[in-house]
Amino acid sequence: MNGERGGGRGRGKKDDKDKGKGERPRGGGGFFRRRRVCKFCADKIDYINYKDVRLLSPFIPERGKIQPRRISGTCARHQRKLKTAITRARQLALIPYVTD
Amino acid sequence: MSQTRQYELVYIVSPDASEQTIADLHTQVEQIVQRFNGTLDKTENWGRRKLAYEIAHAREGTYVVETISGSGEMMKEIDRRVRVTDTIIRHLIVRVDEELRVAERQRSERKATQARRRTARGLPPEPTPSERRGDRDDNDSDDLSIEATEVQR
Repeated sequence: MNGERGGGRGRGKKDDKDKGKGERPRGGGGFFRRRRVCKFCADKIDYINYKDVRLLSPFIPERGKIQPRRISGTCARHQRKLKTAITRARQLALIPYVTD
Repeated sequence: MSQTRQYELVYIVSPDASEQTIADLHTQVEQIVQRFNGTLDKTENWGRRKLAYEIAHAREGTYVVETISGSGEMMKEIDRRVRVTDTIIRHLIVRVDEELRVAERQRSERKATQARRRTARGLPPEPTPSERRGDRDDNDSDDLSIEATEVQR
């Protein structure tokens, strides 16, 4: 009996959390709504050219790492292509591997 | 039996090399292409560019992009030749025909979907210039994503 109650409580908590996640930002809570749009889908870019530094640069923050999908909002397909393009551009010294 | 494929060869020539050496390298590549019955579709010389990092103690180099159609054996030979050339400090060979074909297919698929949806709504398949929304400014969207990065931190 006791065990069951404990479990029930646990479940209740989890539900609350899920609800919180689904909700849009509550005022002043520090996190805000970001436009989750894949830049390549929106601009209808099918081929991500590795020689086009201007196209790639918004996805490379100062450190030189590739910006994760969860931040840039790029879709999986395009992130994959972006990764290949960035790797090639790095080999050609168009983009740095690391910047300190 | 070898198939015809399209490749892109990019090489960086050392900054010490003269114009003549760069021209010689180009003719060398051209000769190999001719020997293997390939075609040299396009050559682009980007000129001197600053490198993102040091390669062979060089801080800048001359970039040359060659688009070549031909067999894999031909590219193998070009790769070997480029490798042994000391004036070329970095090179990259990429097969592009497949990628371009995929991109082309996606483009045509999107066009077909658009046309289908538009005809379903009783509109002409192609959007008329008057109903097209203003094309996005490239710079503008760049700014936006940079802004997003900064806020994230």
